[in-house]
Amino acid sequence: MKTQSFFIKHISLLFVLGTCLSCIKDTDFEQDDALILYPTVELNLVNAQEPAASFVDSSGTELPFISDQVVFDVFNSGFSIDNLIKAELVFGITNSINKAFQIKVDFYDNADALQHTFSIDIDNSPSNTPLFTEHIEVFENMSLTALKSTHKLNITFTLISTPTSSVLTSGSEGSILFASKGVFYLKISS
Amino acid sequence: MKWFFFLGVFLSLHAQNKQLLYGFNEVPQQLLLNPGGQVDFRGYVGIPLLSHIHLNAGITGFSAFDIFADDGRDFNQKLREVAYSMDSKDFVGFNQQLDVFSAGFSVKTSLEKKLFISFGMYQESDIFSYFPKDYAVLANEGNYNNLNRRFDFGQLSVSAEVLSVFHIGLNKKINSKWTLGIRGKVYSSIVQLSSTKNQGSFITVPTANNNLNHIFDLDMSLHTSGISFLSEPEVNDELGILKKRLLFGGNLGVGIDLGFTHQPAPEWTIDASLQDIGFINYSKDVKNYILDKYLEYDGIQAVFPEITSGLTAQDYWNEVSSDFDNLVEIDSTTISYTKWRPLKLNSSVSYNFGRKINKECNCLDKSDPTFQNRVGAHLFAMNRPNHLQWALSLFYFRKFYKNLQIKTTYTVDAFSFSNVGLGMSAALGPLQFYIMADNLLEYQNLAKSQSVSLQLGFNYIFKNYEN
Repeated sequence: MKTQSFFIKHISLLFVLGTCLSCIKDTDFEQDDALILYPTVELNLVNAQEPAASFVDSSGTELPFISDQVVFDVFNSGFSIDNLIKAELVFGITNSINKAFQIKVDFYDNADALQHTFSIDIDNSPSNTPLFTEHIEVFENMSLTALKSTHKLNITFTLISTPTSSVLTSGSEGSILFASKGVFYLKISS
Repeated sequence: MKWFFFLGVFLSLHAQNKQLLYGFNEVPQQLLLNPGGQVDFRGYVGIPLLSHIHLNAGITGFSAFDIFADDGRDFNQKLREVAYSMDSKDFVGFNQQLDVFSAGFSVKTSLEKKLFISFGMYQESDIFSYFPKDYAVLANEGNYNNLNRRFDFGQLSVSAEVLSVFHIGLNKKINSKWTLGIRGKVYSSIVQLSSTKNQGSFITVPTANNNLNHIFDLDMSLHTSGISFLSEPEVNDELGILKKRLLFGGNLGVGIDLGFTHQPAPEWTIDASLQDIGFINYSKDVKNYILDKYLEYDGIQAVFPEITSGLTAQDYWNEVSSDFDNLVEIDSTTISYTKWRPLKLNSSVSYNFGRKINKECNCLDKSDPTFQNRVGAHLFAMNRPNHLQWALSLFYFRKFYKNLQIKTTYTVDAFSFSNVGLGMSAALGPLQFYIMADNLLEYQNLAKSQSVSLQLGFNYIFKNYEN
């Protein structure tokens, strides 16, 4: 009987103490409220592949330039404005035409005002072997602000004559491959 | 945000394992775990709303301490480390039960062959979610350094339900060796949502010439019932509607529990039960969301207008833009659906010893002639959407006088290998109080615990005449 009361006393005490003394220690639930994520998203952008003949008009004359434009509200979307902290546009150009090019990319805002521009020089390929050129345009600070107001992109291929290049005709060989992708560094906070 | 994680840890309770209550014959609520359990009293009435309060929370992979430890380290860094240490088999579970009312009585009072009828109503909440690791990695890293990695969207598996259960059980002692039991249940689901049959992926594949191909393959669905009325403007008596659903007004289902106790010899007890063999048909206030799409995107094609009069880059962009809009467009239906209840298995083997025997015959002796000690092993298993959840316990049960019983358990499960629990039932006259909690070793710092389970309640017990 004595043993029992000993047990009862001690086990009951253990219970009461266990319940009263149970606690949460060495923690701080007041830590930074915000959950912040830093994903980096890579997306394909504009691509083009043009044979040499594309740079010649219907009468067989070489064109001075070709251009195309695209209106898209991605860079200036609310999500992008709030969360984009850095962007890199990566261009890869493979040229096998015996003609040099200057590729110019212009960024226009809603009011058609030029916000940002850059150009990439592409060498001619006298033997029609593919020559690869890479260009990375980094958008930070001021240029990032310009990107975030971009509503329209204009891409222009200007044909450049050099001593080793030839004048293009409908029979000229080679092609130019233009690939672009964006690497977007995001900061998303709750 | 921090409260979300706090709740995630302390309210997201783990399995529905009640290893302390199971086989605790003195507590009537053990009959909810095994309708064929042994009954040691003539009848009982549970104190309304207080006869069984159960909370059970668990999480695998981390504890609150891992994130909220006051160690001066960056909160987001700790969160990231935790997320990366987990995998898609880790899960968070929460289960809560509240007895609204319960009572029981025996129809025959002969100890050997009595029929015990018990009935009542309880409310239950259950939330369960696997950790969608690929979603976490994609949200945290993006696809930049993950080219060719297939992000598995099927890892999203979450279910939540609040329901009330009406039940009536029969417990029949066939002979000195066998007790059998069955409990019929009517479920009334108040709110339910589940998204457990998802498939799909997202992958970015590098192609020739520095290009990328993005492939979205989505086959996801979310079933809900009892929620969409909240968004209807003409509904202004939400509480009234919920109350009605609590009392058979929700989506209804039926189920049974089965159980037995076998005593091949007075010292040995083998028992087992299956709970919630049943289903609920969801037909009221149903809204299902379906996303079944496939999209490959490899960039906008610039086709220079000087060259061709075909599509311009603008046309391509418009097409791509509408493809993306279409990709995230969710279809909804109101088609009814049926879900099986999560099936639970309990089984134990135990050895009784230490019977009190007075050597001298004394008719006035009121001491307890039954075994005072019991040791045994208990197995719990429950089917979850993607796996079988299990727990194995060793237990020791001890009677101190007739009015105080204590049970202690050591449990091994997905949450930990150091789960020690303690339960006690004490009676003051006919009023019984019981309290059971596990993971006691973690009580000195609950934040380090990965699961917490607590049951307590008050009953009014009509003891056996022989007692």
